[in-house]
Amino acid sequence: MDWMMAKLLRKWSLFTFAFFIRVVLIVFGVYQDKTMVVKYTDIDYHVFTDASHFITEGASPYHRATYRYTPLLAWLLTPNIYLTSVFGKLLFVTCDIVSSYLTYGILRGRGMSCQAACGYCSLWLLNPLSMGVSSRGNAESLLAALVLGTLSCVERRRLAAAAFLYGLSVHMKIYPVTYALPLALSLQTRGQAKAGETTIPMGRRVARFLLGLLNRDLLQFFTIAGGVFSLLTLLFYHMYGWEFLQETYLYHLMRRDIRHNFSPYFYMLYLTAESRWSLALGLAAFLPQLALLLLASLAFHSDLALCCFLHTAIFVSFNKVCTSQYFLWYLCLLPLVLPRLMLSLKQGLGLLVLWFAGQGIWLAPAYYLEFEGQNTFVLIWLAGLLFLAINTFILIQIISHYKQEDTQHRQKLD
Amino acid sequence: MVTNVLLCTVFLVVKICGATETEEGDLSGKWLESFKMTRAVWKMGFHRELVTTVECGPHSPEELHALLVQNLPRGVYVDPYQLASLQQDAGLQVLLDSEVDLEAPAYVSNGLSMFVYPTRDPGHPRNLQAVVPIHGRYHRPSSGPGWERIEIEPPRLFLRANDCVPLLPVAPRVLMDAPCSGQNLSMCKWMEIQLTQVLQDQRHISLDLPVGDQSLVVLVCAGTMLVTLLCCVLIANAIWRHVSL
Repeated sequence: MDWMMAKLLRKWSLFTFAFFIRVVLIVFGVYQDKTMVVKYTDIDYHVFTDASHFITEGASPYHRATYRYTPLLAWLLTPNIYLTSVFGKLLFVTCDIVSSYLTYGILRGRGMSCQAACGYCSLWLLNPLSMGVSSRGNAESLLAALVLGTLSCVERRRLAAAAFLYGLSVHMKIYPVTYALPLALSLQTRGQAKAGETTIPMGRRVARFLLGLLNRDLLQFFTIAGGVFSLLTLLFYHMYGWEFLQETYLYHLMRRDIRHNFSPYFYMLYLTAESRWSLALGLAAFLPQLALLLLASLAFHSDLALCCFLHTAIFVSFNKVCTSQYFLWYLCLLPLVLPRLMLSLKQGLGLLVLWFAGQGIWLAPAYYLEFEGQNTFVLIWLAGLLFLAINTFILIQIISHYKQEDTQHRQKLD
Repeated sequence: MVTNVLLCTVFLVVKICGATETEEGDLSGKWLESFKMTRAVWKMGFHRELVTTVECGPHSPEELHALLVQNLPRGVYVDPYQLASLQQDAGLQVLLDSEVDLEAPAYVSNGLSMFVYPTRDPGHPRNLQAVVPIHGRYHRPSSGPGWERIEIEPPRLFLRANDCVPLLPVAPRVLMDAPCSGQNLSMCKWMEIQLTQVLQDQRHISLDLPVGDQSLVVLVCAGTMLVTLLCCVLIANAIWRHVSL
């Protein structure tokens, strides 16, 4: 009993402590915003709040320039206007804690000890990056909670709930749509025997795949997820019209930002923005991303957490636009991947240092361009390529040192 | 909230008044000779501050208000939301004449016009000053020197005294109806002041923004495609090896 209490205390104290630090940061943010020139609150948070303001006046949130999110977010944050301006930040830090709790649940479900699970969760709970981002009012943690919620429900075979969360998460931000293929493959193969699959000829494998589409789980999952997504889309289209589709979905699909960002493609797209090759180059840039996403889905769909992690990391690294908040999309899945990585602490830390160094090397010329007016475009381009090379190296290390879960053991547990 | 009301202004009542001396002795126009306007661009890079200072001479009326009508070229823009927040924090008063696209490159943007109401500089109470943050837009790449020079023309200066009556006797004068201040949108009569003498050496205020090098386009495209393809192949290979193990 004492032993149980000690564990419970450790878990509760970790999560409570993590929440407490974030609340302190929010309070400090209010103070800094009032007293200092450099503001703590993220510019996006002001965008959300302005959009909510329009909602409370019965207007469209898209009256706020650069509001490129679902109206649902602005609706969610209306207490920012009615109650307190820090409501949204409290919601985001709560989502931070919830996502870690979901991670904890998934790790425990794999049979990990409470203490070890807490250790991996603390990588997110006590991570200055996640603390900073959510307490500054960035909504990424909302997505982290939805994605982890989906994974957690799939692992526990609560497919209806998983589908609901998945539909919602694609509506909130478009990027989880890439998880559709691994999700479909994992639902499709669950009931089937896997022995000797590689020896079956290609034609029969394709036939089997198509037959698998008729699988009840799969149909149920995508009916619910598609239903949630379509309902929300129809509802908001009815309310806000074309502008909603344009800002929430099309803008992100068509986005061709020529201003400097982490993407390896930025300088190429800037130099060719007005050329007739622009479209062709855009497509050529899309192909490596697509090919790798397909390959990763086929190879790793039996381990959804790893597959989603790789998907997001590949998607972000090879994307035509990439900013630092995108990194959180895959970092929130890292605690699920780490336990199965056969890397020594030293190797792990080495990769971490390398990743930060890649960002630092990019940030230096970007700073000189943006704030000193020096022409560092070529350096930023080279740094972007180097960062892609570093990300590639890290991904290869993760893939080659990953010990996939024993499926037989898993089936016994099921 | 955005308090910068979009103005459909308003050069409606522009009239040329006859040159008559007024009875107000102090405002005989002599103090205008000590009037001076200086302009500067602070900071470097894409985020600058356009600083306009109107130095009033020792004999100028106490309750004097100034309005600067400033045109900005398409190469730079102001962020209405930043201006709104600065109005709250620092009392900056700026009104814009149109909506601003915060992200478009220069070659698909329009210039904009703004009303700037300079306020008393606490350090020099005789001076009226406005510090307006401006941001550079991305420009078309060039094969030239690597920088694009953006010139900002001098603003038109208008004055009014507290009671909203024309007070300046200098001829010929232009009167304009415009909002009394950034917060008070009721109309006041403003009188344009010509400061050609003072402005002559300040006319070419400018800032340089870095632009991409068009002559590198083939190298950049080839390099980018090569590295991304190589990375793609390496990752694919790692996945392949992992699966076949």
